[in-house]
Amino acid sequence: MSNPAAERELEAILAHSQQARAKLDRLHEVLTSTGHYGRGATPATVVYRENKLRLLRLLDESGQPRTRPPVLFVPAPVSRYFIVDLLPGRSFAGHVAEAGFDVYIIDFGTPTDEDRFADLEYFVEGLVRRCVRKVSAITGRPSINIVGYCLGGTLSLLYTALHPATVSRLVLLTTMIDADVKGGIAWVAHQMGLAGESYDEPRLVPAVEIKGWFEMLAPGSNSVMGRVNDLWQRLDDPIERLRDVRTMATWVDDVVPAPGRLLAELYQQFGPGRNRLMAGTAVVGPRAIDCGQITMPVLSVSAAKDLIAPAEGVDAVRALIPHADVMRLPGGHVGIVAGRTAVSLWQRTVAFLSEPARNGILTAKSRRMPRALRGR
Amino acid sequence: MAESDPNPEPTLVERWLQDQQQWQRTLFAYLDSMMKNDEFLVHMGNAMRGSLLAGKPYPSASAPSASATGEEAATADRLDKVLFALTQLQGQMADVLMTLEELRGIRPSPIAAPAKKSTRSKRTAAPAARTAKRRRARS
Repeated sequence: MSNPAAERELEAILAHSQQARAKLDRLHEVLTSTGHYGRGATPATVVYRENKLRLLRLLDESGQPRTRPPVLFVPAPVSRYFIVDLLPGRSFAGHVAEAGFDVYIIDFGTPTDEDRFADLEYFVEGLVRRCVRKVSAITGRPSINIVGYCLGGTLSLLYTALHPATVSRLVLLTTMIDADVKGGIAWVAHQMGLAGESYDEPRLVPAVEIKGWFEMLAPGSNSVMGRVNDLWQRLDDPIERLRDVRTMATWVDDVVPAPGRLLAELYQQFGPGRNRLMAGTAVVGPRAIDCGQITMPVLSVSAAKDLIAPAEGVDAVRALIPHADVMRLPGGHVGIVAGRTAVSLWQRTVAFLSEPARNGILTAKSRRMPRALRGR
Repeated sequence: MAESDPNPEPTLVERWLQDQQQWQRTLFAYLDSMMKNDEFLVHMGNAMRGSLLAGKPYPSASAPSASATGEEAATADRLDKVLFALTQLQGQMADVLMTLEELRGIRPSPIAAPAKKSTRSKRTAAPAARTAKRRRARS
């Protein structure tokens, strides 16, 4: 007849089975729904092409560019550009464009074998400089605003030091300055053998290798089992949340290969123990970098929980550019730019770009936080 | 006498059978998607690596290609150097074109702003236009 202990056991097995099936049903729903396919969310037109690079100009709903001063977004060349233009309503660049600015985004594209010879000078004095020049030519303005993210911020900073007259305002997002601050992607890459990367005989560093460095930063994601377990746990989340995770995965997991010569040079100049930016001995090609040339208003933003570019290393920009407006936001490296609370950064950036400047440097009054952000 | 419940609670065995049927539906849904949608297999492969990356496979080490001989590798290396030199030239050409455009903007070319039949320079044409304007005002 009935056995209560066996029934309880069967009930538990049944509940477990139902839970696992619900997870698999949710996974199926996510995998068959339209995902993010690696394109920017805002309508845009390509205004310049060079090698794999595309310079995008954002347009409004009627297909027209905006009329306020130009803003050039410079993302990191080792990842995809669309992190600054992720989804409708969740786009940093789109938010700045909505405020009326004429927004441009650099898409560095995906390098192929021959691009392994590209060095820092090629990126700064070649690609970034020509994009700035193109934006100036289109808008008829001798100087433009630049927003650099992560390694794109490093490129923007170096460019600005070399061509200060062409930059009216500079925003640096999670841009590592002091390489001696431990942690972050530079330290992981150092531990995983970046020092061995050859400048003279470069290779195209495979995406899987770069992905490996990022995986080492996040506990639990540096093994297949860890990642699968993490995903399995997440499948209890509501479907909307899972779609959100999928959107972020489309950026986080879609790493591109990188020119070995660029990585070798970045390591030799800005890697742990080198720290030539802080030492004032950085160079781009034959030209020395003098951060004293950067006299225009500068905003530097770090993320309190940044594993890729530790906040202390980012905030060290104060030592190089004493007049820089330095702020730290709660969140991680990607979250502050494209997460659910990223609107704080977007609003702060628009406020900074809109502020009137006096004598080229921010006044104490204009450094104040916008009303919407006070008290956060 | 107590009335019988029209929707009695299913027994454990009945619920077990229902769950088994649901499992079959789940399994068929996956098989159906695999048959109909090639991309679904890529997405499944990514999920089995713990990623919800859409549209392309999760980064993985590519299969080792047939090893090229020393001579082939050297040729490929030289070809890559030539290709990269060409891309650098492309950039320099873009600079030249942008400079030309800037120069055209400073000194409007005849195409951008067609000249009038008068051979007089702008400097002499402007006072002449003013004189004509004054004459018209007087009359």
